[in-house]
Amino acid sequence: MNLATTLHDDVAEILLTEEEIAAKVRELGARISADYAGQQLTLVSVLKGSLPFMADLMRAIEIPVRIDLMEVSSYGGSSTESSGLVRILKDLSASIVGEDILIVEDIIDTGLTLNYLIRYLRGKAPASLRICTLLDKPARRLVEINVDYTGFTIPDQFVVGYGLDYGELYRNLRYVGVLRPEVYSGANAE
Amino acid sequence: MHRLRMDRRPVTVPFAHASEAEMSRILDFYAVRWEYEPHTFPILWNLDGDVVESFAPDFYLPDLDLYLEMTTLRQKLVRKKNRKLRRLRELYPDLNVKLFYARDFRALLLKYGRLALVDGLSGTLGQVASPHGTRAVDVPILLVEAPPESVPAERALRGGSVAAAVGRKGAGRRRAADPDTSINEGAVQA
Repeated sequence: MNLATTLHDDVAEILLTEEEIAAKVRELGARISADYAGQQLTLVSVLKGSLPFMADLMRAIEIPVRIDLMEVSSYGGSSTESSGLVRILKDLSASIVGEDILIVEDIIDTGLTLNYLIRYLRGKAPASLRICTLLDKPARRLVEINVDYTGFTIPDQFVVGYGLDYGELYRNLRYVGVLRPEVYSGANAE
Repeated sequence: MHRLRMDRRPVTVPFAHASEAEMSRILDFYAVRWEYEPHTFPILWNLDGDVVESFAPDFYLPDLDLYLEMTTLRQKLVRKKNRKLRRLRELYPDLNVKLFYARDFRALLLKYGRLALVDGLSGTLGQVASPHGTRAVDVPILLVEAPPESVPAERALRGGSVAAAVGRKGAGRRRAADPDTSINEGAVQA
């Protein structure tokens, strides 16, 4: 990214405005509140991308909820050659045995990370395990996953903002936008 | 009395294309078991009933019951592959096959911050012998430990149901990392 420009200049198109996201989060919160009425729900957010969504969603839910955070390593995040095996960088802080768990994701594309997390969390014997994602990009799906709550199904474009990053930047955009290809094409030439 | 024991042996997988080797690393990273070209499906016969054309998808993911065919080559070859894939789906409608195009591969590398590698791993460049072209992977071997007076026998673990019409490619290799074991190994809290 050229530091002389602003983050907004690197966005080719706003896909979802701040208002659209807020309305969808309220809608998801209402549905989740209704579906889990009378139950004790634990929201598990996957860092870092889902942080803004988690923060907004938990406040849109009107039943008692606990929250927990996880972080897993991403492929290519360490070395340039073999990256080994996915690692849990931040595990749950409390037991989820017998709990109703809702995984809160920012985006599902290949499904590889979520597939891993589902298997990992199922091994911790929750009472139930469901998925909520703000964005779903089914065109990229490798692993089929049943998603219980989907905010938006988006086209096959590289998006940033509202937690989603490119090179750890753009997470603080209030909207979801399509990154200009020249931003990441430039990185290719480096 | 024979005893059974699991061991792991390094096997070099001769990937036909560097993009396939990279995909195998990604699948390994997320503890998704894979086999490389394990099955060959006849798709065309002559009047004598001899197979004149067949299709061997690059990967089989046994836990997902999914075949994955990667094509990062020129459009002309993609068209040929699309035709073969259509024929495969006509003849074997129950098969779950996903074609992974160059744009999909590019998006995957972009997601993992490895876009700089895309040219070397795609298209014609990716076909030539390169450090990415082969991988030594550990394959589980079921050892049959015989009494001291006899010679131990060993055989590679093989599994998965295959339709009667399907042949097995002699060069088929399997990465059979136990996902549960892998998760346990990966679940190291930082």
